[in-house]
Amino acid sequence: MAELPKAPAPSAGQATSWRRNRKLDQWIAFWSVPFFFNLFGLVFVPLSWMMPPRSPSSSTPHIVGFMHSHNLLIACVILTLAYGLAPVSNACYLMQVKRMSVSPAFRYSMMIGAITGAIVGMLFPMFCFGLGAFRPGYSPSVLTMLYDFGYLAFIGSLGCFCVMWMAFGLAIILDENNILPKWLGYYTIWQYVTELMAAPVWIAKSGPFAWNGLMTFWFAMMLYVSWQFIVYLCIYKAIKNQPEAELDNAPPEPHPGALEITSKTSA
Amino acid sequence: MNTRGQRILLWTAPPAVALFVLAYLVFPVFSPPLSPTLTPDQVAAFFRGNVTGILGVAILGNLIACSLVPLFAVTAVQISRAATSSTVLTYAYIICVGVGTTAFILADYCWGMAAFRPDRDPQLISLLNDMAWFFFIAPVGTIMVQNLCFALSVYLDERPEPIFPRWVAHFNVATIALLAPSAFSILYKSGPLAWNGPLSFTLRLTTFAVYIAVMFWALLRAVNHQGDDRVVLA
Repeated sequence: MAELPKAPAPSAGQATSWRRNRKLDQWIAFWSVPFFFNLFGLVFVPLSWMMPPRSPSSSTPHIVGFMHSHNLLIACVILTLAYGLAPVSNACYLMQVKRMSVSPAFRYSMMIGAITGAIVGMLFPMFCFGLGAFRPGYSPSVLTMLYDFGYLAFIGSLGCFCVMWMAFGLAIILDENNILPKWLGYYTIWQYVTELMAAPVWIAKSGPFAWNGLMTFWFAMMLYVSWQFIVYLCIYKAIKNQPEAELDNAPPEPHPGALEITSKTSA
Repeated sequence: MNTRGQRILLWTAPPAVALFVLAYLVFPVFSPPLSPTLTPDQVAAFFRGNVTGILGVAILGNLIACSLVPLFAVTAVQISRAATSSTVLTYAYIICVGVGTTAFILADYCWGMAAFRPDRDPQLISLLNDMAWFFFIAPVGTIMVQNLCFALSVYLDERPEPIFPRWVAHFNVATIALLAPSAFSILYKSGPLAWNGPLSFTLRLTTFAVYIAVMFWALLRAVNHQGDDRVVLA
């Protein structure tokens, strides 16, 4: 087996240059997240006004006008280039769940949910919005169908995220290694509830339960955005506090008495 | 550690590539690539006149859509061998591959649907065709990020004997730049960036083909040199 290079002598408090940081892969992945989320926010809100969502009961001329807007196309281009970062943001959850004492089945469930969600909840609806602006001249009924398809897929994609939040929340609660705080586990299960709250968007065309409604959009967004922010704060702490001895590329033990491994794993 | 499984999976790639090349050459939509400037009526006429050819390739495409997945799966295993602190790059890679493959399948479905009922309203056939091209050419974001993850795993690998030669990582970074123009294909109906243009179409497909060939060679070499080295389970 290939030998790993000798680790530099540890000295408490010495700031290593960031290039020699042993956890560089984790930090690169982590810092891509605020970049991606901010880009996402800029593209969806001030650029294209896709969010806050238009109303499902908008008049047809309004819908046609919106679907023809050039900024919508530009938004699609930017997202097509950047959406590969969504898997990275999901990988950040996975790398913490892997450290937990729970079965790999939890992180595999999350992985599968992430794959499904990126397509049905992001890529597909994005193209629905781009089509009308790409080729003006489609009939209003076609444009309305694309408009519906886009918003329903974005806001109404439920199951893929249900499984992710359920698996994530349960993993945190059951974890004996306490990688992430237990209250976060309960908070994450609450995210599952926001998915249930989004279910009526498939029915209501106006009012608080439409896709732009007070409950299903504004209230759910408030819960979702705060959760998202808090989860990444907790992940930041978890990465920072991860002992170097636990890393996959940990330097070989200098003393014959091996460090006690206190983490448990299961199959 | 027995690497026979990885080698078997890797050797499914050359027949897969042969089938993809066959599908490409035989697909009426690609030879030559349909122009975005066609009106819905012209598009509908094209689909009406090429039903068998298009449906044949749509079925073939459906069957072989995931046939390169084993090569990507072996790549994921080799990424997890890199001496990084975690398996975050492996996870990101796997998710990107899943998403990218799905986009390809959706393109295939849209073309298949357009040819399935050629008497449909030409507007709808044109819509399906646009959708198919969008899904086929534009979603380069996941390939770009997966190649970046691979390159990072090589750059951050602390082993004294690297799994891959460094130029393979540089090559992956280069592909990111070469694939990026295709994302702009949804802005243009003519010119080099249009979905049938030299940048979005020819460059993208050529880059991808060369990339598969290079990775196949690099992975075979890595697997043959793996010896007893253990991988980290992701």
